[in-house]
Amino acid sequence: MSIASGERVIEFREALREAMSEEMRKDNRVYLIGEEVAQYNGAYKVSKGMLDEFGPRRVIDTPISESGFSGMSIGSAMRGLRPIVEFMSWSFSLVAADPILNNAAKMLYMSGGQFGCPIVFRGNDGAGGQLASTHSWCVESLYSNVPGLKMAIPYDAYDAKGLLKTAIQDDNPVFFLESERLLSTSGHVPEEEYTIPFGQALIRRQGADCTIISFGRPLHFCLEAAEELAKEGIDCEIIDGRTIRPLDIDTMVESVRKTNVCVVVDQSWSFASVGSEIASQIHVRCFDDLDNFVHRVHSDDVPTPYAHHLEQAYLPNPRKICEAVRSATYNA
Amino acid sequence: MPIEITMPRLSDTMEVGTILHWHVHAGDEVSAGDLLADIETDKATMELQSFDDGTLEKIIVEEGEQVSVGTLIATILAEDEVSSDASTQSETEPVVSDQEQASDQVSEPTTQEQDSHSGSPRVSPVARLLAEEHGVDLQSIQGSGPSGRIIKRDVLQVIDTTSETTSAANTTQSEPTTPVVSGQATSPVQPLAAVSPWQKDRTVPLSNMRQVIAKKLVESKQTIPHYQVTMTFTMDPLLEMRKTLNEQLVASGVRLSVNDFLVRCCALSMATHPEFNASFGGDCILYHGPVNIGIAIALPEERGGGLVVGTIRNADQKSLRTISQESMYLSNKARETGLSIDEMGDTTFTISNLGMFGVDNFTAIINPPNSAILAVGSAEEKPVVREGNLAVGYEMSATLSLDHRVIDGAMAAMYLSALKELIENPASLLV
Repeated sequence: MSIASGERVIEFREALREAMSEEMRKDNRVYLIGEEVAQYNGAYKVSKGMLDEFGPRRVIDTPISESGFSGMSIGSAMRGLRPIVEFMSWSFSLVAADPILNNAAKMLYMSGGQFGCPIVFRGNDGAGGQLASTHSWCVESLYSNVPGLKMAIPYDAYDAKGLLKTAIQDDNPVFFLESERLLSTSGHVPEEEYTIPFGQALIRRQGADCTIISFGRPLHFCLEAAEELAKEGIDCEIIDGRTIRPLDIDTMVESVRKTNVCVVVDQSWSFASVGSEIASQIHVRCFDDLDNFVHRVHSDDVPTPYAHHLEQAYLPNPRKICEAVRSATYNA
Repeated sequence: MPIEITMPRLSDTMEVGTILHWHVHAGDEVSAGDLLADIETDKATMELQSFDDGTLEKIIVEEGEQVSVGTLIATILAEDEVSSDASTQSETEPVVSDQEQASDQVSEPTTQEQDSHSGSPRVSPVARLLAEEHGVDLQSIQGSGPSGRIIKRDVLQVIDTTSETTSAANTTQSEPTTPVVSGQATSPVQPLAAVSPWQKDRTVPLSNMRQVIAKKLVESKQTIPHYQVTMTFTMDPLLEMRKTLNEQLVASGVRLSVNDFLVRCCALSMATHPEFNASFGGDCILYHGPVNIGIAIALPEERGGGLVVGTIRNADQKSLRTISQESMYLSNKARETGLSIDEMGDTTFTISNLGMFGVDNFTAIINPPNSAILAVGSAEEKPVVREGNLAVGYEMSATLSLDHRVIDGAMAAMYLSALKELIENPASLLV
């Protein structure tokens, strides 16, 4: 279920590019920086053509030095520019943890309100497909733990554009988590300009028996599982949280009050995760409404395997989601 | 009857013990002297031996659990004795018929023990809520969830059946029925109507104000040695003067109440009776300079009820008109938006008047740190004796509650006499 209107269909990566280009045309403080974003047209062709349009002062290639270019961009954001920092993969952001978590997220607080940090960090998050454990990071649970930052995870091309434009316009550091697996997917994206506000979850599928809450790529697994479960007579409602910080817990609570059953699907590991946080908040807000404890589906608690079949088994796949929903609805 | 094994007192000072390890399992044969369990006391780990021969029926307190001395921890069946507990039999035959109680259908030993022990079934939160809303008896339901947990589906089934039965009963007997308790739904006898919601007990959390009232008044009643002195006042002259004044003041929008006169009477009497404008200070008596008279104001139900005490500051220096205006302002503000700290603090004496409700007389609890409070009844028209003749006149009764640490009985009597002098000769209130 997409709320996008119009006939035009573009790829997820094009939607990202449109968001950046539109904002760069409107506001010359906005610039893009990262590895291979300029001359190579982006490692994943997200920034294709942007060097030609905006020139090397605003589309900047960097050496392989995440800590360096992140820190430099944060400095420029403090002085009034609005950088978009592309990480080829969020896995590579780990070496820049100090600038992005310790500086960007805390700058407004630690400077006593003197310096904001209007910056967007974006790139591929999660298992891209046989990239093995060090390059398959899901950083949402790790990074959303830090106060002071915002975090968005788009589900399709429409959301990719609308959320990224909001991210660029936001005066706070935004962690924008894309999926390599979704870059080639296409969807309706209107010609006319639009943005999607943060903190507004969307019900992707209406249902009466079980609320499934997820973000980003695993939502596609959820929709697949819901089709399977519908054949068994289990009617799932699927909620796309869209942003993890801020979290639209109210929409989730409203749905759980209706279905009395909740399954959270989160592609990060289970321990101290976005999934456990949402489950905890649902338990607090919906205690008397629950017919079962909140069930969670995560990636397995091991480093991401390289072998194809193991990687598929490791992910929060439709099979695992079906099992969790059956168990939560007492249909196991 | 099975033999009950309780947590033994293994030392003089032992109050609780922890089962460290069971050496036997349910179903094991035991003989007197056999080691049953290791128990940790406050001093040491000790062995619990069996005093009887038989079969260990069940373990009630699991390893690691701490219980008080005397708590049932296990039962032993004597030879030839058969378990009275259906659940033990269900271990060999897990299929349980629908009629059996929910607590009996679980075959896991731990659940069994817990359920038979507590007597309440496992219920999911929403199932419990649904059952409550529809008056469904949870004990009558067999749960279909894990470990016999009663889930939403189970309760909904009962509600469905009940409403079918009820509507069937309605059509055949054309008698009004209300949703009924499930267990009785199939009974041929019409059950009693379920208890209406307004007849049920209700628990309402205390508002902040009620918490303060509760705390402050208990403190007052428990720490202040209260006693009461009552006097009756002839009210005709005061009421007459009030009538005259109010007629003259109509144009200026002032309407003096009996209470306004009493505020002034009480305030003026402080000059000669400073103990009534004082506080008990532990090792001293604190005589207050300003005379701040508090008036108790009942709040309407819409504002959560309760009461506040508004302060008329320096009441001894204020005219009746000013007192009346301030008093009116305070009660209106208290009822509409609430009083500020300034408007209700620093009282030195309080008046509580229930006269407008037709109350003859009552006693009030002192409003600390005051040393007295005056409880005022209504001015009633009644047969009175005037100069040896029976006549009809107005009388009012007022009762002082006093802190005996500050004020003695005779002093109270004198204060009331001073009030009487002013009330019965009210012209002096005008100067």
